[in-house]
Amino acid sequence: MERFKTILLVGNPNVGKSVIFNKLTGKDVTVSNYPGTTVDISSGIGSFEKEKYRVLDSPGMNSLISYSEDEEITKNLLKERPDLVIQIGDAKNLRRALHLFFELTEIEMPMILCLNMSDEAKERGIRTDAGILEELLGIPVVATVAITGEGINNLKLRIKDARIPKKIVTKKDGALAFDIYEKEIDGIVSRVQKRVGEIKPFLADRLGNWAMKPFPGYVILIAVLCLMYIFLGKFAARICVGFLEELFEKYINPFLYQSITSIIPAPFIVDALSGEYGVFTMAIRYSFAIIFPIVFCFFVFFGILEDSGYLPRLCILLDKAFRLIGLNGKAVLPMVLGLGCGAMAVISTRILSTKKERLIAVLLLSLAIPCSAQLGIIFGILSGISFRALLIWLFVVIFLLILVGHFSEKVLSGAKTPFLLEVPPIRIPSVENILMKTRMRLVWYLREVIPFFVLATFILFLINRFNILSLIEWIFSPIVVNWLCLPARLAEVFIVGFLRRDYGAAGLYVLAKDGLLTPSQIVVSLVVLTLFVPCFAQFLVLNREVGIKKAFFIFFFTLSCSFFFGGILNFFLKIIRIV
Amino acid sequence: MQEKTREQEEALGIIWHFRERKIKDFDRIIGKLKEISPGICDCLVEKGFIEIKDKTIELTPSGEKIAYNITRRHRLAERLLHDVLEINKEEIDQSACEFEHILSDEVTDSICTLLGHPKFCPHNSPIPAGECCTKAKEELESIVVSLDKLKSGDTARIAYISILEHQRLHKLLSLGIIPGKILHLHQTEPAFVIKVDETQIALDKDFAKNIYLRRST
Ligand SMILES: Nc1nc2c(ncn2[C@@H]2O[C@H](COP(=O)(O)OP(=O)(O)OP(=O)(O)O)[C@@H](O)[C@H]2O)c(=O)[nH]1
Ligand SMILES: [Mg+2]
Ligand SMILES: [Zn+2]
Ligand SMILES: [Zn+2]
Ligand SMILES: [Zn+2]
Repeated sequence: MERFKTILLVGNPNVGKSVIFNKLTGKDVTVSNYPGTTVDISSGIGSFEKEKYRVLDSPGMNSLISYSEDEEITKNLLKERPDLVIQIGDAKNLRRALHLFFELTEIEMPMILCLNMSDEAKERGIRTDAGILEELLGIPVVATVAITGEGINNLKLRIKDARIPKKIVTKKDGALAFDIYEKEIDGIVSRVQKRVGEIKPFLADRLGNWAMKPFPGYVILIAVLCLMYIFLGKFAARICVGFLEELFEKYINPFLYQSITSIIPAPFIVDALSGEYGVFTMAIRYSFAIIFPIVFCFFVFFGILEDSGYLPRLCILLDKAFRLIGLNGKAVLPMVLGLGCGAMAVISTRILSTKKERLIAVLLLSLAIPCSAQLGIIFGILSGISFRALLIWLFVVIFLLILVGHFSEKVLSGAKTPFLLEVPPIRIPSVENILMKTRMRLVWYLREVIPFFVLATFILFLINRFNILSLIEWIFSPIVVNWLCLPARLAEVFIVGFLRRDYGAAGLYVLAKDGLLTPSQIVVSLVVLTLFVPCFAQFLVLNREVGIKKAFFIFFFTLSCSFFFGGILNFFLKIIRIV
Repeated sequence: MQEKTREQEEALGIIWHFRERKIKDFDRIIGKLKEISPGICDCLVEKGFIEIKDKTIELTPSGEKIAYNITRRHRLAERLLHDVLEINKEEIDQSACEFEHILSDEVTDSICTLLGHPKFCPHNSPIPAGECCTKAKEELESIVVSLDKLKSGDTARIAYISILEHQRLHKLLSLGIIPGKILHLHQTEPAFVIKVDETQIALDKDFAKNIYLRRST
């Protein structure tokens, strides 16, 4: 492989490193409005001034003295000595950029300082003189507005001018170094920065402040959840899915059946492709008619939440509640991310600072957090029954989340970590970024999902064909029929659930729509499926992040929880008959 | 209260000063006392201001109190003469000896306040604290409070951060929570939300009670 010079992007969290990375390389890494979006290294190629470079995006950090795994990653990247470091700073927070800058000067590498978010600095009446700063620091300083692309060309042009910065302060240990840095920073800031005029709080800021107070914070939270329920459950899972399902049932499936029979006369293959358990009639139909619209809507909604800056405020609101389950408010982020995709959320638990917290978080993610498609389908199915059914499902899942979390907090040793989180300003989400993220995630999701769906369908097809399905139904019947009081057919839902829970949910959706289940059976099977084993992709990530032993423990733990509590719920519902 | 003369006060002051230097030996102190008047020692014992046991002199509670006050007045007078009237160190002792017997408690405290509650006399001996000093100290402390004592909407300057664990301290510092910065407290529940410069940070009580602020305007 050709060896390019490497450029490493570093900087404080949430200053726009990833936006700049995308602009430099033409890639689409995730950009969101909260610190800790990037938890892993991304790499891309960019060519500036006719020379090609390998560009690396890194997790944000405030100081080279690191505390969590994501910060450690950036430190290790620096140790590998890239050819050039571009430090991205927030123009309205020059002091913090300079603090990191002084730490970076210790490494003695060619650098450029990029002051991003100049638009926000200007809005707040902060003016920075890049020319003087450049002289004082001895490296190129470029002002940018990454989201509009302003200044990016200038940044590309200046890459060749990168210098090893002047040593303004020499290294002293610990707090002493800090004081010396601070004095220098005071001097520099007073020379290069001016404040003109006062800032008036925008409506967006006020909304942001409301969202983190108990009142009206909880009201806003409930409103957000209701919106999500309506958007996902009613709009996506009912209207859109209904429309697409009809399209498949009335036109596409018969058409496929016709054309396949006419092309390939072998009935076995026809069945495998377009029969009851056919690859097209089931796997492709589920993927495009059910998963696609739901996941699309989910990621649009989720993108808006991410980019507005609501999520960190939710962390604040829920901090106290999360104490109950041995976590603090910071863990809200991976949990909410888990609603998008469990596997990605497991990786993002890296932002938590202790092993104990990570373990609890990944356990709960595997146990009780349904991911996007599954959540949408659940909302869709429940909205067809009654609001009360939704509340029962929600109650059981949250109850178990608290129960298991609280229990593991008691069992696992380790100190509590105090809560500290930077809260970004409320920003108006850009349609472009949301569509880009949605497209990327959708493609990723479908790519992940379709092979599994095809595989699972084919397995179902085979076991049905060779009459093993009834055998399996018979084997499962003590649990499914006797313990959970569900029709024996649901065994097939659980079998595919082992591969992917959302596929199981899609199967359930069809069964429910066909009227094969009573409302209380639906609630029970949804609870079982929510608590069911982590999907295959998530299992692989678990294995990588916490080790094979713990991954298997989580697998069997969630499996037993799901059937055990499903049965208990069934028992209760029979007695009180509230569905 | 027992009658006390100028000479007795003077003598008790001397015993106090010896005791500050950890000397209670009868033989070493008696010489100085006799300079005041020959029979003063018996007189002090008789009045119950001192006790003599095993050749050492101990102040009784009532003697202690007189000695304490006389020393305070003497040394404050020294400070006044030295700092305000600019009389040099060698000469102030004589004049201070005049003042110490005529100053009332009230006047003493107002001199103390005027001088800013000094802790040492010009000869570097400690000045016993009066009521005014304790009160002033409390007031000063109430100006510096921890973050969890502030109300939402308050603005204050960070005085110091008392977190011993280096990691956590450093984390705060690197977020820009630095002594000397102005801090604005947005809310206290369910977590504290503060703003320093353009950085908004949420933290819990564990952090908040270790961040101390000066509540001036
Ligand atoms: N107004 C404004 N917003 C910006 C600018 N650059 C980035 N943003 C926004 O800032 C937020 C953070 O951007 P990211 O690129 O994810 O930041 P990051 O530095 O990669 O963050 P981490 O990976 O979490 O450390 C996003 O919501 C962006 O839309 C800018 O120049 N102006
Ligand atoms: Mg990033
Ligand atoms: Zn005297
Ligand atoms: Zn003196
Ligand atoms: Zn005083």
